[in-house]
Amino acid sequence: MTRRLRTWLPVAVVPAVVIVGVLTVPLQAGAAVDLPDKTPAQVLAMIGDSNVKALSGTIEQTSELGLPSLPSTGSGADASASSALELLTGSHTARIYLNAPDNVRVQVMDRLAERDLVRNASDVWMYNSKDNTALHVTLPDMTGMARPQTDGAQQTPAQLAERMLAAIDPSTAVTVGKDTRVAGRTAYELRLTPRTDATLVGEVSIAVDSETGMPLRVEVQARGQSDPAFSLAFTKLSLDAPSADLFDFTPPAGAKVEEKTLPDPSAIHDLAIHDSAMHHSALHDKTMTGTKMPATPEEAKKLLEQLKAEQPKNGGGMLPGVTVDGTGWASVVELPAGTVTADVLANPLLAQVTESVDGGRLLSTALVTVLVTDDGRVFAGSVPAERLQAAAVGG
Amino acid sequence: MSSDTRPADAAASVTPSTGIQGPGAPLPDRPRRSSGWALMVSELTVLFRRRRTWAMLLALAAVPVLIAVAVRLTSSPVAPGRGPPFLDRVTQNGLFVAITAMVVCIPLFLPLTIGVVAGDTIAGEAGLGTLRYLLVAPAGRVRLLIVKYAGAAVFCLAATLTVAVSGAAIGAALFPIGPVTLLSGDTIGVGESVLRSLLIAGYVTISMLGLSAIGLFISTLTEVPVGAMAATIVVSVVAQVLDALPQLDWLHPWLFSHYWLDFADLLRQPLEWTSFGNNALLQGGYLLVFGALAYGRFVTKDILS
Repeated sequence: MTRRLRTWLPVAVVPAVVIVGVLTVPLQAGAAVDLPDKTPAQVLAMIGDSNVKALSGTIEQTSELGLPSLPSTGSGADASASSALELLTGSHTARIYLNAPDNVRVQVMDRLAERDLVRNASDVWMYNSKDNTALHVTLPDMTGMARPQTDGAQQTPAQLAERMLAAIDPSTAVTVGKDTRVAGRTAYELRLTPRTDATLVGEVSIAVDSETGMPLRVEVQARGQSDPAFSLAFTKLSLDAPSADLFDFTPPAGAKVEEKTLPDPSAIHDLAIHDSAMHHSALHDKTMTGTKMPATPEEAKKLLEQLKAEQPKNGGGMLPGVTVDGTGWASVVELPAGTVTADVLANPLLAQVTESVDGGRLLSTALVTVLVTDDGRVFAGSVPAERLQAAAVGG
Repeated sequence: MSSDTRPADAAASVTPSTGIQGPGAPLPDRPRRSSGWALMVSELTVLFRRRRTWAMLLALAAVPVLIAVAVRLTSSPVAPGRGPPFLDRVTQNGLFVAITAMVVCIPLFLPLTIGVVAGDTIAGEAGLGTLRYLLVAPAGRVRLLIVKYAGAAVFCLAATLTVAVSGAAIGAALFPIGPVTLLSGDTIGVGESVLRSLLIAGYVTISMLGLSAIGLFISTLTEVPVGAMAATIVVSVVAQVLDALPQLDWLHPWLFSHYWLDFADLLRQPLEWTSFGNNALLQGGYLLVFGALAYGRFVTKDILS
């Protein structure tokens, strides 16, 4: 009997060692980090000061939005819609290579496929391996054009940070959380907590690299959900300049190539400034409210327009007919009647992701709810569905 | 399947013998030393002299041939995004036949053949009554177990190489060969693409090691080889079904089949090694756990046949 025990001992030990190894290795990676204390304003100033010119890294995006996962095998017109939705649901891994100011490459790694975006000076290529298509966009020469001056251009990042903090203070509590480690780098964690209970967003946290001030991770917590509803984080990061031939893209033989020129130079210019901190933070803000990072320039352009629309305080860029009800985190955006046309309303895809409620169809996720009324108006906000319905009736 | 069990005295006096011979196959010349290498050589000789092994390898080789011939005979070009991945590239570049065939083989055909070989390791000998003669020799149970597992691992490599080589051959015969387009849209030369094909074969071989360890363990549980084979194949199918259920996504990274199709990461530019490392770690974990279980079961087992 003891002999039996002795032979079974390694059988118990080996799996135990494997399990202990599995459990402790990630713990060690997240071992306590202690950085010199900083105030929220100092951390914000670090982001403003951030001057990363070159990097190569891997980004992981995960969403727990509570949307049904959709098959990404749609055909025809549905395909683009469902692939856009597919980016919202589930998780994605992308590799990013940056060599400022002219070279960017983003690779979204799908299973057995890849979507690429390559920018080499004025050439922008988009390649999709699934259908072997490439899109070539030539950017107009922008050397003679002045970079748009942002509001804070004359200020130091520290002053700008103070001003931004003061501006968002009425709606949001900003604190610095526990020091953490992202992609093997030590980081400060900036936590933004809405001061109102009327929003679905529980907390937004941004991990800021302690060395360079670059944001390494953005997480959005939804109220009443333990996993982050949305998370975008570097899992690997190197600040060495990536090899130059990565940005040298020629479409493969046999690929369908589409040429495109963008007519409006100012709009393109907005897109071209990948190193602009203001632009970045605007995109990040947008991501926090549940919209995906733009994958194509068109999407980015749309996003910028939306951003302008959603910031009525800025005045100028507002689209006609768009109204914003309420302030801060609990505001509701209303798009006028006719925004959603009848044939879109009849789209089976829409029926699949939305549920029928009083007065229209409701898309509800952990962070954002969207109500499409029967007459084609759209209400959206990071608020519970009842609030949208009330706005639809009241408006 | 033949069943020419050797007389007890012959097997016991000669040296450790593994398995059985196909009908008419001569007894391999077995060295008198009972070193692990000799046992290994004899195990491999027996494995690769079996008609069953050759039948399975031929069936695997037929998959890329079928794909290539079907694409060749179709008049209309394959639309991108239809059928198995990479199928539309086949007409432009024959080297993609091997990759398409690999994608087709990984979910079922490879686990099927590997389940047969791994499930047969111990149970096959027990079922034929040759196991106790193997253990009469001073080879020892642990060494026998290791040699049996190594034999199954060599078969994994042989099976994946069969698909890769047969795919490349039929692709070169029926379609033009040229620079290969990677998933990232970059193009590499034929030489580097051969290197990447070999890397893929290595990746897929490693992917199958976990399943082989499970098969070895199941094989120590029973004396009915068909039962062990079927159970191993069922395990691989169940793992893939679980991997497809989004509700169980916490479990997915722990399933041995989770990284099977991620060999495509080797077709990106620059090479993405993360999944290779994750896969190797995962398969190593399965190998350790199920190897230990098989050891515990086999060493304490009463061998009656």
